[in-house]
Amino acid sequence: MSNEKPPKSWTKLEETGKGLTDHKLEEEMRQNPWRRPFRAGAPDIAKASLKRDFEVGLVYYVGDDVEQDRALCGLDRKPPTAHLFKDALEKKKVLLDEVGVVKRLGFDKKKGKFEY
Amino acid sequence: MSTVQPKDDKTASKEKYGYFLGCVMPVKMPWAEKATLLVSKHLGLDFDYMKETLCCIRPGVWRAIDPDWWLTLTSQNLASAEKQKITLVDSCNGCYISHYETLKELKEEPDKMAMVNKNLAKIGMNLSGTLKVRHFLEVLYEDVGIDKIRANIKRPLKLKITRHLGCHARDRGNSPMPRYFDEILKATGLEIIDTPYDLTCCGLLYYFSDPNSAIYQRAGKKIETAQGLGVDAFVIICSGCYDQFERTVKIMSAEKGVKLDVPIVHLSEVLALAFGYKPEDFGMEYCRPIPTTKLIEKLKEEK
Repeated sequence: MSNEKPPKSWTKLEETGKGLTDHKLEEEMRQNPWRRPFRAGAPDIAKASLKRDFEVGLVYYVGDDVEQDRALCGLDRKPPTAHLFKDALEKKKVLLDEVGVVKRLGFDKKKGKFEY
Repeated sequence: MSTVQPKDDKTASKEKYGYFLGCVMPVKMPWAEKATLLVSKHLGLDFDYMKETLCCIRPGVWRAIDPDWWLTLTSQNLASAEKQKITLVDSCNGCYISHYETLKELKEEPDKMAMVNKNLAKIGMNLSGTLKVRHFLEVLYEDVGIDKIRANIKRPLKLKITRHLGCHARDRGNSPMPRYFDEILKATGLEIIDTPYDLTCCGLLYYFSDPNSAIYQRAGKKIETAQGLGVDAFVIICSGCYDQFERTVKIMSAEKGVKLDVPIVHLSEVLALAFGYKPEDFGMEYCRPIPTTKLIEKLKEEK
C-alpha cells in the first residue's frame, strides 16, 4: 500500500466494515496479550460488500434512486435479478450456509454483523 | 422513442440468449443495459434477460479464498441458465471469466462437478454442464457478424475515441476479443486513438488493498490520458471496469479537484447511435459522473 493517505471514500468503507464487527480484534488483543493471535475471516474493507452480497445476493442495493434512474432510461424499475426474484436469494443463502461461508467468515445473519 | 428498422431483419441465430446483468449494470449503467437490449433486438437476436441472477461471484476474490466456494456459488447461476434453456451472455468481463472458467473446470474435472451437484441438490438444483457461456463481443462478432453490423450502420460516427477492453477479455492466450472490439468500433465510423495505457488494468480489485495506486496509477491514468488527447469519448464494455472508472472520476474530483470531461461510454451505446437510435432512446444523458452533453451536442451538429 502506498504511503499516501487513502481516499476518504475508502476510509469510510473501512470504517463501515469496522462498524459491522462485533468484537474489535485489535482492542481485544491489547486487553488479552497472551491470547493466541488469529486473523479475522474477512478484512474490514470488504465487509460492507460481503454483507450486501449475503443479504441481497448482489453487491449493490436497488433503492428509490436506482429505480428512478432505470425508469428514466426506459427500463423496469426493478431488474430481473435476485432483487426481484427472492427465491434465488433464499437458495443462495442455503448454499452460503451449507458450504461454510457464513461460519468461516463469522457472519451473524440475525445481527447482520461479523463476529470478528 | 424513434423507430429504426434493421437493414436485415432475418434472425441472426436460432440461439436463445439470456443477458446476465451482474451487480453493476442494473444499478450504475441503466443506459448501457437499455442500449444492449435495443442493439441485440435490432440485429435480430433472440435476446432477453436471464432471470433470477445473483452476483457472478467475483473469481478474483472468492476463488482466492476457497475454490470450492467459488465453484459452488457460481454454479447456482449456471444451473439457473441451464433451467431457463438459454445461452448465458455476459458483457462484464469479470462475470464472463467467472462463468466461463467455472464451467470449463467442472467439465474437465468430474469430481468437482460431483461436489458442486451435491451442494446444488440441497437447493433443488442440478448442473449438467451442457449450457454455453458467451461474451457479448463473441455474440456480436461470431453470431451476428461484422458484415451485418456494418450493413446496419445508418449514421457513421465521426468521433475520436480511446478505448478500454479490460483484462479478462484478453487473458485466454490468443483471445480474439481485442480484435472483435476494435473492428466493431471501427465499423461504426469511430477513429480509435491508441495510448500507452491501453493494456493497463482498471485497478478494480487492486482498490481494496492499495486504493491510491488503483485510482491514480490505473483508472485515473487512463482517463486523464483520454482527456489529454482531446477525444470525444472513452469506450468500454466491462461493467466491472466501469465501476472502477466511476469511482475514480468521483475521487479525483473530490480529493484533487480534477475535473474530467471525457464521457465513459459503453459499446452498446455506440452501436445504438450508429444504428440511428437517439440518445434519449436509451437515457444516454442520465445518471453518469461525466455528462454526455458535449458528445450529444456534437452528434446533433453532425446531422
